[in-house]
Amino acid sequence: MKFTDDPRLTAYALGELEGTDRVEVETLLESEPAARAFVDDVRRTAAELEAGLKGELTKAGDARLLPAQRSAVERAAAAGPAKKLPRKRSVGAREWLGIAFAATLLGVVGTAYFGRQRYASPDESTSILANRDSAPARGPAGSLQGMGYASTVLPTATALPKSKSVVGNAPTLGRTTSRYHPPVDSIPALGYGTKVDEFFGDSENEQELSREAYERIYENPFFLAAVEQLSTFSIDVDTASYTNVRRMLVGGSMPPPDAVRVEEFVNYFQYGYEPPEGKVPFSVSVEVGAAPWNPEHRLVRVGLKGRPVDASERKPANLVFLLDVSGSMDNPNKLPLLKRSMQMLVQHLGAGDRVAIAVYAGASGLVLPSTSCEYPLEILQSLEDLRAGGSTNGGAGIELAYKVAQENFIEGGINRVILATDGDFNVGTTSDADLERLIEQKAKTGVFLSVLGFGMGNYQDAKLEKLSGRGNGHFAYIDSLLEAKKVLVEELGATLETIAKDVKIQVDFNPVEVKGYRLIGYENRVLEHQDFLDDTKDAGEIGAGHTVTALYEVVPAGGNLDVPGIEPSKYVQPAEVSSEALEGELLTVRLRYKLPQADTSEPLEVSVVDGGANFFELGEDTRFAASVAAFGMILRSSKNVGEATLEDVRRWAVESLGEDEGGYREQFLKLVDRAIEKR
Amino acid sequence: MTESERPIDDSAAWIRAALTQYERPLTAYATRILGDVERARDAVQETFLRLCNQERASVENHLSEWLFRVCRNQALDVQRKESWMTPMNEDRERVALDTAPPPTAAIEARENLSHVLGMMSGLPAKQQEVLRLKFQHGLSYKEISRVMDESIGNVGWLIHVGIKNLRGKLAGEGAEA
Repeated sequence: MKFTDDPRLTAYALGELEGTDRVEVETLLESEPAARAFVDDVRRTAAELEAGLKGELTKAGDARLLPAQRSAVERAAAAGPAKKLPRKRSVGAREWLGIAFAATLLGVVGTAYFGRQRYASPDESTSILANRDSAPARGPAGSLQGMGYASTVLPTATALPKSKSVVGNAPTLGRTTSRYHPPVDSIPALGYGTKVDEFFGDSENEQELSREAYERIYENPFFLAAVEQLSTFSIDVDTASYTNVRRMLVGGSMPPPDAVRVEEFVNYFQYGYEPPEGKVPFSVSVEVGAAPWNPEHRLVRVGLKGRPVDASERKPANLVFLLDVSGSMDNPNKLPLLKRSMQMLVQHLGAGDRVAIAVYAGASGLVLPSTSCEYPLEILQSLEDLRAGGSTNGGAGIELAYKVAQENFIEGGINRVILATDGDFNVGTTSDADLERLIEQKAKTGVFLSVLGFGMGNYQDAKLEKLSGRGNGHFAYIDSLLEAKKVLVEELGATLETIAKDVKIQVDFNPVEVKGYRLIGYENRVLEHQDFLDDTKDAGEIGAGHTVTALYEVVPAGGNLDVPGIEPSKYVQPAEVSSEALEGELLTVRLRYKLPQADTSEPLEVSVVDGGANFFELGEDTRFAASVAAFGMILRSSKNVGEATLEDVRRWAVESLGEDEGGYREQFLKLVDRAIEKR
Repeated sequence: MTESERPIDDSAAWIRAALTQYERPLTAYATRILGDVERARDAVQETFLRLCNQERASVENHLSEWLFRVCRNQALDVQRKESWMTPMNEDRERVALDTAPPPTAAIEARENLSHVLGMMSGLPAKQQEVLRLKFQHGLSYKEISRVMDESIGNVGWLIHVGIKNLRGKLAGEGAEA
């Protein structure tokens, strides 16, 4: 190497070289005159540079603050730092007691929760097979004759060829066509006008909102099963919409319709679905009964339950808290609540876990480098010391947080950025897209993002939901310490530990049994059918112990029922059906998911027969979920909830409270009461 | 009496002294990044307001590094908020500094402020930035590395290359020959 290519010589010339490097350079200089000449040259150049640049500084006459700016700084200086505890103070005995007490209290709650994990025993839960066995007169043959479907030769005796389990792995599953239909290319042209989004949608009234931003939700319409057999969507484990609407109702105002995402209402609650057996990360169970708001229609509840992970088995976590400390967070229900919430979380982490704290406002910075939770006091204190001020720049903060998460990456562990904010990022629209791209890209490297929404009036709901979705994370809204406890302590495993990602659901409706159907909620999560098999298409995640619930309203075939919103095309002939369609199955639920570290998805398939249950024969979980969905639809002024009133909702909910661990269902009743008062 | 228990007056005087000492260097530095003095002033004011909120003890022993770093982040944040197209990745600084040649460079050349500055303006922005931090503001490699979020090795390399590029040109026409 030439001397002139060795930056150490420059460093030496400038007095910046130490240690063995310095010794080496000095040895070289003794023997090489050319090297000495280079060093001298560097020193001369440096001296000239210094003189020239210092001159530049003195000549830049206006390069100073304006008098008003200077006096603002002087005033701030005189006021001293905002109330702030000294960083490295020792903790007094009384505070120790407080922390210890809080920890004990929370510890009990946490243990109680993890210890509980009660699931419906097999005999309590409605088994699909049992339903199948007791399937009444609505048999396949009857339906067929009633509808006059299928002029082709059909077997009349349709014994199910294989014994199906509730959850079946179907490794050969590779189709996105309906199992109840021949391949697409053999279906005759179906005419037009069968997708009917335009019949629904633009009905919701606009509401003036402070600065809260909600994306417009166009409620999913009914589809004709004979035309559109498949319904494909991504699961959603977010709960923020429910909490956010609760905040509004409790605060005495009715929520704007677009703040209500029905699936997030339903998924706010825990359901006692049976956990999975074997290696599958989650179980799937389906229950069918009458829809409470329209007993002629069927309600299909699809329930997923993630494998629970005991606190002691949880993988070590590398968490980076990215906390918004901008001026807008300076509000009792924001920053102080955020601090308490994060402290609560820290107290439930173990010695194997690490936490770093980054903040953002006008500038972003690392408040606490990644620190083992063996020393929680340091982390707790850092949280305590946070203060609000400055304008927001979320983007820079997110980059920093990801950087720290990457530097402390735990192979095979939980690596997650937890962003807590009111979402006021102050970046333009294009930057939002950049931000999403960054988050998506980081999720692929194994660093996931969870978003916690705080505060009111400035709350950027749509943006936060999108960001967490990109980051394989979940999005919760925290309006109280109680809610923080639910999200960060009780659901700690689910919040931190993703057990399956990109979970997609495709329901294949059998047109022999189903005339029309509608997916309730999940409007933001609907996928193209071809996305189902496309492993590059992102979808929702399921956490340890999490339950995810989806509801369909089904218009059964075999009667004179109309599918709401659709006048069937006069040109469309019923499509041909496959022999499987005659086996009496109502629908087949297909799932695809990836294990957290995997790139390719696994299939899972469940076929369902309608046992003909009425609403009150359904399990408590399904009935409660239905009442929550109805509540959401009423708040959205949906046309799809029939004549149902808030009083009906309340009645259905009261009758399906179940054990109600944690009292969340009871609390739902209070919320319905609020809505009744406000109406 | 520990550091943090000093009377407020003392801290206020300390901040006033910091203001006197660093106001110009920081404004000049931020102007380089942002291209105009107006927005630079805002960044510098915000930097000092932040200083007012710091515990003196936590900043005192690395004050210049702290000020330059905060000021730089402020300036970059302002710049990024105003520029849609800046990518959200590690290239941020490079793009922020490279794509827009500082408008002041042209003025300097016209007024022939000095030969040094004329030569400097021909260097890539990042080299200019490290050279200014080193020779105009007197920061060490280590301090520069913290201010700019670069490794010390990279700072050393940028200074080395910068000086090499200028070497011989600065001493005037004579050295070039």
